[in-house]
Amino acid sequence: MATSETGKVGYRRAEQYTPPAPERASDVAITTFEHVWEVDPRLMQTWVLQQEFPNWDTLRIMNSRHDHLEWMHKHFADKVVTGSELLAEIEAEDSV
Amino acid sequence: MTITPERLSVDRVDEVVRALRTVLADEQILTSKTDRYNRARVPAPFPVHRWGERVPDLAVLPVSTEQVAAIVRIANEYRIPVVPRDGGTGLSDGAVPLRGGIVVDVKRMNQIHELDLINRTVTVGAGISMLKLNEELAKHGLFYPDDPASYPCSLVGGRIGTGGWSLIGSRYGHTRDLVLSFDHVLPTGEIMHVGDGIGQKISKSSSGYQLKHLFMGHQGTLGIATRATLKLFPKPEAELSPFWAFDNYDDAYACTGALARAGVATFAGAVLFDEYKVAYLRRDDEAYIPQPKDVRALVCSVMYGWEDEVRAGGKRLFRIAREHGARYLGDEISQGDWAARHDRYATPLHGRTKAGQVVPMSWHCEDAAINYSQLPAVSKAWHAIIADLRRKTDVFDDWGMFTYTSGNTGVDYLTEIDVGIWEQQLDDAAWEMWVKAKRDIAAVSLANNGSISACHGSCRDGEVDLVPDELGRGFDLMLDIKRTLDPNNIMNPGKYLLDRAYEGHV
Repeated sequence: MATSETGKVGYRRAEQYTPPAPERASDVAITTFEHVWEVDPRLMQTWVLQQEFPNWDTLRIMNSRHDHLEWMHKHFADKVVTGSELLAEIEAEDSV
Repeated sequence: MTITPERLSVDRVDEVVRALRTVLADEQILTSKTDRYNRARVPAPFPVHRWGERVPDLAVLPVSTEQVAAIVRIANEYRIPVVPRDGGTGLSDGAVPLRGGIVVDVKRMNQIHELDLINRTVTVGAGISMLKLNEELAKHGLFYPDDPASYPCSLVGGRIGTGGWSLIGSRYGHTRDLVLSFDHVLPTGEIMHVGDGIGQKISKSSSGYQLKHLFMGHQGTLGIATRATLKLFPKPEAELSPFWAFDNYDDAYACTGALARAGVATFAGAVLFDEYKVAYLRRDDEAYIPQPKDVRALVCSVMYGWEDEVRAGGKRLFRIAREHGARYLGDEISQGDWAARHDRYATPLHGRTKAGQVVPMSWHCEDAAINYSQLPAVSKAWHAIIADLRRKTDVFDDWGMFTYTSGNTGVDYLTEIDVGIWEQQLDDAAWEMWVKAKRDIAAVSLANNGSISACHGSCRDGEVDLVPDELGRGFDLMLDIKRTLDPNNIMNPGKYLLDRAYEGHV
């Protein structure tokens, strides 16, 4: 859902179906939004064709995946210890 | 006595339904095409044009052990197959009705019957999932740590019937260690309680034969578990799941072994991703696409417990990884990838043709139990088998290998190769190629002193041919036990070559 120039909430189809310009991420993948990777469209021309996705749905899928992973962590433990914390502690101990 | 593979006539099905109505309500007996087809499908790929062979004649939804027993007695009376179905997530076709008959779907037996906070046990119906169970246990600060890659959708009864393997089994044990005892309906319809001794909540008994293991991992050929008492643990305060990158397989392999042998009490598992797996992830997985090209193998280790223990143990493992040339991949990828490992069945899958085009593929996972010393040899031989398939056809795609510690000493590993299979193109010729490949994969495991399966079971076409070789005299004993407990061969017939038990015994 977007806000139009008149200030009314509205839906602009063209706006929703125009993702950011793709950037090449690897030989077989591109990026559009930050953290959104897609298979290179050249590889989806014969057996599986790329689907048109509105931007809001692309972002919803990406964000809901983060929600899901966060929920899964809480399901298994109350807290997640990060590796970067431990690595920093080890490096500090070794530098003494 | 054997069951003929011909399907039941409509009249015969009606007759069975009338008999079932004496013990079940109408809504517990399902005969529609939709209900039956929905209970024919499992995740392991199979030729689409042959799915019709695996459709049951009817399905039932019992709500108690007594109802299950009554259903099995009726099946004996009418000499028709009975196939137990729990989550239907198994990868070795245990829940697949090979000869029609009655599918016993236990999903309605999903109650928590007793939570014993003093002895730290819970007694549940076989139809509850670990995810739903743990949501309830978390209210009491408790946890049931049976953690398959199908965690959200597999059920306790299926874990018993297939002898489940857990991702965090190196810390907590696997299904066989976590299930203390259970009610079990034998193939004749008798009800038995089986555990260590006759204990309900006993974790170690020396009374009598150790029968519990016999009735776990039989893939539904020896009866149906209906209610189980499970061992509980405190819900972990903290989790740590670092992922490390390596520029070669050999260093990653050495690191995995060192982590597993370190003797850290909170150690719940180490996982080695080989070069083929990294290449596969680099194609499609958002976490790995941006990784530098010198990332060629990965190692993950997981710890659960109190935070102070996890921190101390984690630092020890980080130092070991560093000594082996590891590069920490960062918090986001470490935490995200590990969280996703509990739920691999929700992942949409596709593979590539040799020309690079994306094709829809299903996931076939071949597994084995392999000693640490043999992992490189098995890995090399298995990839060669899949490469040979790939040269012949685009139906198969090598998605790489994982090896997971099975225990906390590093003695053996759940070793698996993931193969994408283009099911829509899986004709009879391609299926035969695949069955041969499965047989070859199993032969490599045995040649390396391993076992054909650590996790899934070994009763699919191909690998099952080598089960008598693996078990030797033990396989003959399996036949004797099957014939004794299931005199009419009604319990999940056609699995594990057990029809041989009835040859010459008509």
